[in-house]
Amino acid sequence: MRRTSVLVVLALAASSVALASDEHHHFGKQVRFVGIHPIPKNEGGGICNIEGPHVHIYIANKLEYRDHSGDAYFVGDPVAYKYDGPKYAYKGPHPIHVEAVVGGDPDVEYCYLEGPHFHYFKPAPTEIDADFKVVGDAYFYVGEPPHVFIDARPAYVGINAQYRPLAYARPVVEVEAPSGWIGARAEFLTPGVIVETPGVYVEERGHGRGRGHGAVVVGGDTVFGGGIDVHIAAPPPPSIHIGVGIGVSGGVGGEVHGGGRGHGRH
Amino acid sequence: MKRVLLICALAACGKGGKAGDKGDGSAAGGPREDLLAAWKSAGLAPAGFAAAKDSPVGKDCQLGTVNSVEVLVCSFTSADEAKAAQDTGLKWVGDTTGISTPKGTLLIVAADRKKADPTGSTINKLMK
Repeated sequence: MRRTSVLVVLALAASSVALASDEHHHFGKQVRFVGIHPIPKNEGGGICNIEGPHVHIYIANKLEYRDHSGDAYFVGDPVAYKYDGPKYAYKGPHPIHVEAVVGGDPDVEYCYLEGPHFHYFKPAPTEIDADFKVVGDAYFYVGEPPHVFIDARPAYVGINAQYRPLAYARPVVEVEAPSGWIGARAEFLTPGVIVETPGVYVEERGHGRGRGHGAVVVGGDTVFGGGIDVHIAAPPPPSIHIGVGIGVSGGVGGEVHGGGRGHGRH
Repeated sequence: MKRVLLICALAACGKGGKAGDKGDGSAAGGPREDLLAAWKSAGLAPAGFAAAKDSPVGKDCQLGTVNSVEVLVCSFTSADEAKAAQDTGLKWVGDTTGISTPKGTLLIVAADRKKADPTGSTINKLMK
């Protein structure tokens, strides 16, 4: 049984990006999203298929979403949430040119999933030759990771702990990683540092940016009480990430390539 | 006398632009009518589209439903005007799942108030 502890997620709260920008308007409890993403279980679960900008009245968590011009953009593996559309296999962390998937201003965000995983998009055409190698039907990032990619890793590497217990058909990638693969780099071999101290993270409602007050969190548990939200989350397992092999649980193979949701705004 | 009859006939034909009315609030011609026709072709079921009185989103809006999702289609004189009304559209959506998406001189605003589109498939087709 999962031992539930009360945490103060100081590191995440401090380092995560703000998913809403004050310059982008939202009304009432609206939270802006762009692209497909999981629907919280208590909102019905599954995948929201709206590819363009849209709003919901639940919030996006900070490990699986990035800010794209004020919209929350999902960078996790949609197959973990029963997505059954076209998908592409990746292994290891990699950049994502968000504008190539959903349009908008140029924006590079980073996926920190360490093992084989899927996305519903393939790398942008401009970076496939330069920064990715395709081996065994999977994309491996072999480019030179910018500092921001490395520096932000401690804040997001916790996504692996979140995905590890999820039972779903991950891609099977049994080939040897190509030379220069990011998963073999020292910066990505060292244990991810997650500073998490047991405690309570209390979020006041009715203040701040107006994003998702009274709404729910995708992943983790949320308890509502009075005018505050009390987030209770189980601590992840010790964060020792050694790159290859981590997160490669299960796997019955998956269809890769062909007919994916493409580049450019739909 | 003939001139009077001709004027009367022309006035009758032009009244309310009903010529070509398809019975679902759409009429032949125009970007909005083309949009409704495209939705039908895509397998959607637009219904009940009629002029929206005093819409806060625009002066020329039609309100109806598409597969039970409430949809407002507003026409503007320019694409910039349609884009500028996006936020007003989101305000109209309110506390529910929705979109406010410009498409040329039109603004498509959809609000799933009845939770008829839990996975967003209908709304996604509206944006195509």
